[in-house]
Amino acid sequence: MSDLRLLLVDDEVEFLEPTAARLARRGVECTAVTSGEDAVRELEANAFDCAVVDVKMPGMDGLELLRRITRDFPDVPVILLTGHASVELGVKGMELGAFEYLLKPVEFDVMLDTIRRAAAMRSA
Amino acid sequence: MPSNPYRRMRRQMVAVLLAFGLVPLLAMGVAGYVANRAAIETRTRNLLEAMVKNRKATIDLFLEDRMRDLELVAASFSAEALTDEARLDALLAQLRREHGGIIDLGLIDSEGVHRAYVGPYNLRDRIYRDQDWFEHVMVQGRYESDVFLGFRRFPHMVMAVRKRDAGRDWVLRATIDTGMLSALVREGGIESGAEVFILNRAGEYQTATAAHHQLMARSDLGPLPVHSGVRVVERRRGGSTEFIATIWLRGGAWVLVARQEAPGLSQLLNAHPAVLGVFIAGLVLVPLLALVVVKARLRQIRAMEIERASLFESAAQAQKMAAIGRLAASVAHEINNPLAIIDAQVGVLSDSLDDLSGVGEASEWRARLAKIGAQVDRARKVTHRLLGFSRRLGPDIEPVDVAAALEETVSFVEREALASSIRIVREVERDLPLVRTSLAQMQQVFLNLINNAIDAVGAGGEVRTRVRAVKDGVEVTIADNGPGIPPRDLERIFEPFFSTKSGERVHSGLGLAICKDVMQTLGGRISVASTVGKGTCFTLWFPLEAEVRDVGP
Repeated sequence: MSDLRLLLVDDEVEFLEPTAARLARRGVECTAVTSGEDAVRELEANAFDCAVVDVKMPGMDGLELLRRITRDFPDVPVILLTGHASVELGVKGMELGAFEYLLKPVEFDVMLDTIRRAAAMRSA
Repeated sequence: MPSNPYRRMRRQMVAVLLAFGLVPLLAMGVAGYVANRAAIETRTRNLLEAMVKNRKATIDLFLEDRMRDLELVAASFSAEALTDEARLDALLAQLRREHGGIIDLGLIDSEGVHRAYVGPYNLRDRIYRDQDWFEHVMVQGRYESDVFLGFRRFPHMVMAVRKRDAGRDWVLRATIDTGMLSALVREGGIESGAEVFILNRAGEYQTATAAHHQLMARSDLGPLPVHSGVRVVERRRGGSTEFIATIWLRGGAWVLVARQEAPGLSQLLNAHPAVLGVFIAGLVLVPLLALVVVKARLRQIRAMEIERASLFESAAQAQKMAAIGRLAASVAHEINNPLAIIDAQVGVLSDSLDDLSGVGEASEWRARLAKIGAQVDRARKVTHRLLGFSRRLGPDIEPVDVAAALEETVSFVEREALASSIRIVREVERDLPLVRTSLAQMQQVFLNLINNAIDAVGAGGEVRTRVRAVKDGVEVTIADNGPGIPPRDLERIFEPFFSTKSGERVHSGLGLAICKDVMQTLGGRISVASTVGKGTCFTLWFPLEAEVRDVGP
């Protein structure tokens, strides 16, 4: 039984697919999409407890998607994930309302923990 | 820095300054010289002219007197009386007493035989019949010879007059000492420094001169043209110019010459020692001043060049570091994504192994996957460290213990300060709040201000730091007991490139400008207060939460 519904957004399928599989194994029901546009469609169609969003994506990038989510789906916490570690980006993400900012490659347990905390905060 | 351009610049500057200084000086000198010379030349000409006129009168008088004496004797005594040598001797003695200058006296008959003679030479019975002068006196009635040396190598001239007595012609002859004539002539030149002498038609000296001219020798002037009155001419001799005044005597038989060198530069300068002094002082001072001015200017230019070079160098260095930072960040980013994929794939495989606990190789696979995971971890640390490095170029906001940060900065410079006997006194308040700001940038500001304070106080001085909590932040003051900064400079102290420091260290004048920039970036404030003679105090205020304004790309 899944206790948590997660929207996972990353343009790298090679990352998306195994990560989704591992999360599903730990009771996180994952919807994986490869673009910001797909993510918006999913959010409109289904309810999610949390979203993990890659910052650097073609088309609508992670920060743009974050803005959309905080505006249109303010009860969905967003965790930003990127291989590009610039403090400015992190600070900007936090300012835009991200729940947390994680640096790739993130330790799987850290990511899982962060997702759980985000979801818990939402239901609290 | 190459020294060649400086040497050329120095040569050019010195040349220009010398030209500006010396050309007017030399022009004034030349103008003065020309004007003075003209005046002195005119004076010399007038002087020479007056001198020869005056001498001519004297000489004419001398010769006239001698001739008149002779004529008087000839007229006063009969031929018979004059052939009596005792009488003749008495006459000679009387003439010598009265005028001097007569050496001997003799009477010659119409046949040219020396019938009576009194004097130092043995001339009695000499026969003059065939001599030109005898003929001349017999025809003309009187005769004056040129100067000649005669038998005893001694300058003299002969005067003779014809005497008619009882239908017969006689000639009364006398030898005149021309030493007296020379003395008379020379006398004229004594006061003016001119050389005065008499030449005959052939240009031979008739009087001795102060210079070593041999009597009867040919003068370098050669035969001179006969003219009436006084003539003054200018003549080049050797390297100098001389004036020659001439006047003819005795109906063109002799010419009286006065020659004087035109005034040279040295004479002119001797005439005006003050002018010479100013001129020489100018000649010495102008080049000296030129050298001093050029040296000072060049030192300034060189200092500016060094400053510019060091500024340029530090700017280039900062650019290089920024480029390295950007490169490191992009490399790390490119590696992080594949690392994340490997990590995820390894994770899935590990998860799957949990389902295959019955398979014999499962534990070995798990061990190998763990090794892959460990290597991913290792690579992650490398890339994260690289990103940490690039992050240092931008403000890295973290909770900072301001007192500890200040203490760490002071510890960097304290050893150097103690070596100059400079004390650094700290004052820290307890229970300070943490400030969220950039530690590195805060420390950069501390370092700059403490270094400035150490430079300002010099050996034996004191620097005081104080940290205390204030409303909405933490305040840090860094004070020194140095010479202080005048109000005029204080206004400009945060301007880029403004510097009051001097000495062997090259200062960019950027330190305080950077401090101000950093404090603005961190949302803080910097201010300064200073009293000349007492010291300077910088006050920094850090907000509890830095609002980073300057967010880079």
